[in-house]
Order: sequence, then structure tokens, then C-alpha cells
Amino acid sequence: MSAPAAIPLPYSDERHQRASQFLVEEAHLLDTSQFEAWLGLLDASIHYQMPVRVTAVKATEESTVQTMDHFAEDWYSLRKRVERFQTAHAWTEDPQSRLRHHVSNVRTFADDDSDQLIVESAVLLYRSRGDRNAPSMLSAGRRDTLLPTAAGLRLARRIIEIDESVLRTQNLAIFL
Amino acid sequence: MNIDDVTTAARNGLIPAYLYNDAEVFEIEKDRVFSRSWMFIAHESEIPDPNDYVVRNIVDDSLLVTRDSGGEIHVMFNMCVHRGMQVCRAERGTATTFRCPYHAWTYKNDGTLAGLPFHLDAYGGEDGFVKDGQALLAAPAVAIRNGLIFASLDPDAVDFDSWLGDFGFYLDFYTKQSPAGMEFRGPQRWRADTNWKIGAENFIGDSYHTPHTHASVVEIKLFGEPKPNKRKEGVLWHAGPGGGTTYKLPDGSGFRSGLGYVGYPDEMIDKMADVWTPEQQALAGEAGFMPSAATLFPNLSFVHNWPQVDDSGQITPFISLRLWQPVGPGETEILSWFVVAADAPEAYKEASYKAYMLCFGSSGMFEQDDVENWVSITTTAKGSMARRLLLNNRMGLTHDGDPIVSQYEGFTGPGTAYQGYGEHNQRHWFSMWSDLVEQPAPELAPIAFGVPQES
Repeated sequence: MSAPAAIPLPYSDERHQRASQFLVEEAHLLDTSQFEAWLGLLDASIHYQMPVRVTAVKATEESTVQTMDHFAEDWYSLRKRVERFQTAHAWTEDPQSRLRHHVSNVRTFADDDSDQLIVESAVLLYRSRGDRNAPSMLSAGRRDTLLPTAAGLRLARRIIEIDESVLRTQNLAIFL
Repeated sequence: MNIDDVTTAARNGLIPAYLYNDAEVFEIEKDRVFSRSWMFIAHESEIPDPNDYVVRNIVDDSLLVTRDSGGEIHVMFNMCVHRGMQVCRAERGTATTFRCPYHAWTYKNDGTLAGLPFHLDAYGGEDGFVKDGQALLAAPAVAIRNGLIFASLDPDAVDFDSWLGDFGFYLDFYTKQSPAGMEFRGPQRWRADTNWKIGAENFIGDSYHTPHTHASVVEIKLFGEPKPNKRKEGVLWHAGPGGGTTYKLPDGSGFRSGLGYVGYPDEMIDKMADVWTPEQQALAGEAGFMPSAATLFPNLSFVHNWPQVDDSGQITPFISLRLWQPVGPGETEILSWFVVAADAPEAYKEASYKAYMLCFGSSGMFEQDDVENWVSITTTAKGSMARRLLLNNRMGLTHDGDPIVSQYEGFTGPGTAYQGYGEHNQRHWFSMWSDLVEQPAPELAPIAFGVPQES
């Protein structure tokens, strides 16, 4: 991924508007379990990664672990995850969680060398299951690479910076 | 609650359902199980270089696990002996010293108290606080095997090797695959509203849940094996303080082709042939069984599986270790490591990591459904009717207590082995649990710091 320009595109820039709308529409698909349609937004070269975060001493250590992830997905593995949700035996999401992806803080950067867009955003996932246990939340920053295609933008790369070292949700049977 | 009634029922294969979510039981477990068991805390490869450290817990005890400048490993209570603050508040890193943020008491990474501000002015030097030779409180007992670091909070803990016994034979399948040792990555950490015992029991011997709980991963062709008929050909073994499950390899596989069948490349098989004894090799090579899940009492589990990692149909095995770290009666932190031979070919490491990510860990497709089940059990176990219900843990026994099949003769590993479905290993786990909760907690003398030691 090339380094983003220091200054994000102005909100009035059509490229920013397209990127923002892409993220909102994507969140809608995930909130409504339209996983096949969600796969349709991904480029076949998709790299979808969520590194493990750790509590580290300020300034001297990395808080992101380089060798372990919560997600390290490609097209095959994401497709398998979606296929699984479509079986009648993916118990963890049957009954389904009530999900809401809240997307905000969108900053879009033009890439100097190509027409791809680098898009940073924040996502807060509210997840409620059943009627006994407390709902869980996952807060994360995302850094996406979006490719313009004739059919619209496609997600080619997503690095998810999760805001917890110990996740407070029973599993990641969700996408961020 | 009368704990002797509980253990009598449990030993008889009847588990009071409330054991899976009860504050009183949890307090007893803290006092009597975790305070004197050998507990896994870290692997040497997580602190590979001098001055590396990680911080790990045994239930509520924060422990600093360091490699000092000379390479020696130390496990210490992460509490300043002055006012009790954590001397290290990060989770991993590199440091030669740890300075308490409160009053700047400073400890070397071997635990030695090196700095005590105004020792002379504030204490009158050694006359008021004996600084010389003081150190952070060391874990009472530490043992290392295959690079796995275990600690016990009981100074009278039985010698680790004697305790491990015949489980060590099986431990090597997961944690000794190369003369170069293993590399632990992670852990992924997450919390689930589940009791810690359920995961431990599941991994020790529950081959019965696999075909149904994990039906979806077979349907999507991620994994060909957990079909009911295939799973029940496996042998359940228990040996020493643990047990596990196996898959039956195709007849006549032999050692090399058996490992090849589950996806190990020749280079990996060469390494395993170098480090496993002929008896260990015979488990796959002659008896024809491939280790799958296992648990070492109380809360360390192992898994070895071999999914399809890409569209070409390539099968690749992976190993994971996981700790069911108790947080409360109804809450557990799961720590899950990916484990691979340190000198494995890079392409194999990459494929094995992918296999792990698909199946286990925070996002793994096997683990997702397991944890959903366990949360449901834990939630329901809180009810008053759960105080009456005795769950049946007697699979594989007649009413008279005889095994429905005799011990499997063709199994070459140590311990006790039965082929087919059964809860032999879960009963073994509960009998170990019962042995501990029946005994009062160890009584340990207080340790005072800075005052002259009584001779």
C-alpha cells in the first residue's frame, strides 16, 4: 500500500463521497446478513487482516503483534466463512446476533500513483445475542484500499486495528 | 453445598449441573485447584531473547515471566513488595529493569531489588529495611518441558516430571516436532461467558460432539474428517494428568504416509522422525492413530487438525495450544496460540497458520460453534433447577460400571485407551478435579519483606 497523502480529500470531493457511501452500503449488507452481496464488494485479491493488539510500553514497543492476527483472510477463507453461515448448522449465528455497524470518521486519500483510494474509517459493532447475556461491542479503526472498477468500488485490502487486547465478544463470527 | 457429595456424584459419572456456574464452587477451585496445580503460563519462544518478558495470569495472580540478561527464565509475582503496585503494566516487551511507577522501587529482570530511593534517609539503610538480597516474590515452583513454562503456586507441589508422567509421551506430538523446538505465536485473547471447565472437558475426550457441533465445516468441504462413522473409529486415551482423542488413519498407513495423509510435507516428517521415539512413531505408524484434541489438567488444551486450506484441495495440519483462564464462575478468558516447528519451511508455516485461522482461535470456524455451546451451558447452569440436575457423564459404561467395550489392545501408547465414543476421559478429568477439591487448600506462611529473617 502506498503511503497516503498527508491531507485527506475534502468532503466535497466526489471520490470521498463515493468511498463514504461504499462503507455505509457495506455496513448495511453486513447488518442484514447479505453476505453473498458483501463478497461481491471484494476484489478477488482481497487481503483482510486484523492483527492482535497488546498492551505495550509507550514509545518503546509496538502495540500491534506482527505474527498473530484475529483475521488473516483471503478470498478462499472469506468465501468459506460465508458459505458456512449459509449452512443450516452454523449454530453460533442461529439464532442470529443483532448487529449494527456504526461507521464514522471517514478520511479518504487519493493515491498519487494510481486511481485507487485509501480510506480510513472507524467502526463500532454492537452485537446482541439472545436475551440473557450483555451485548458486546467491538471498536476498531480500518484502513482500506478501494479499487474503482466499471461496476463501482471494490475492496482490495483492509487492515483492522481492533481497540482491545482481550476481545469482549464470544467469537468473531462477524465481519468488521 | 457439601463438596464431598459433589465429588461422590462426579466420580460416579454424574455431574451436578450447577458446577458450571457457581460462586462457591469457583472459590473452592481457586483455593484448591489453581493454587496447587501445575499451570501453563508461557512458552520460551515468546521470550526468545535476553531481557524479553511477558505478563501472564494464574487466575487473579499477575506473573512476570522474564528471560534475564544471562538467558535464564524467571517467574515472579508482579507486585512491588513495598506498596503492592504492579511493577510491569505492559503485557510483553523487552526490559532490563522494572521500575514501580509509585515510589520508583526498581527491580532487575531476575527479580532482584536494585533500587530503593532514599534507602538511608527514609529507612536508616539496612537498619530499617533489609534491601540486600530482596527480590520480587518468586513463583513457588517453576518447570520447563519442551519450552513450555509451567508454574505452581504451591511450594510443596509434586515434582513436575513425576506429575506429568505418561502424558509427556503425548505432549511431544504437539510441542516437539523438530530438534529446533517450536515457535508459539499469539496468543489471541478473548473472553466468553463460559465456565472454564467446559473447554477442558471438551478437548480431553469429546469426540462425540464433533460430527454434529461441527457439521457445517464438513458441509463447506473445509474438512473431510469429522463424520460420525470416522470419528468413532478413533481411540480415546488418558495417561497421567490428561487425555485426548485421535483419528484412525487409513489401514496400513505407516509412519511417513500416515503423517503425509494429514498433510505434513516430507521435510516436516523428517524432523518428527528425528525427535520422536520409536514408540511415539509407532502410534501413527503401527497402531494407526493420529492425535487430535487433548487436555492436560487442569486447563491447558491442545488441538491438531488438518483442513483444506485452498481451492486446490491442499490439506495442511496445524497445532494450537489454548488456556482456559478462569475469570469468574461464568466467565473465561481464552488464550489461543498457533504452534509450529521453529525451523519449518516458510511455505509450510504459512499454510499451517492459515489452517489454524480457519478452524480455531477467536475467529476459527470450529471454535465459533464450540463457544456458543459453552456459553449456553454456563447461562443455564445458574438456574435453581440446575442445582438438582445431575448431568450424565457415564458414556461408555454400563449401569454396573463396566466399560461397554474392553480396552483397545492395538493402541501402542501408554495409559488407558478405548475405541469409539465414551466419556472415559471426562470422568478421568473429574476424578482429578475431585481429588483436589476434597483436600483443604495448602496453608502457606506469610512472607515479610525488609525485616530481618528469623533464623
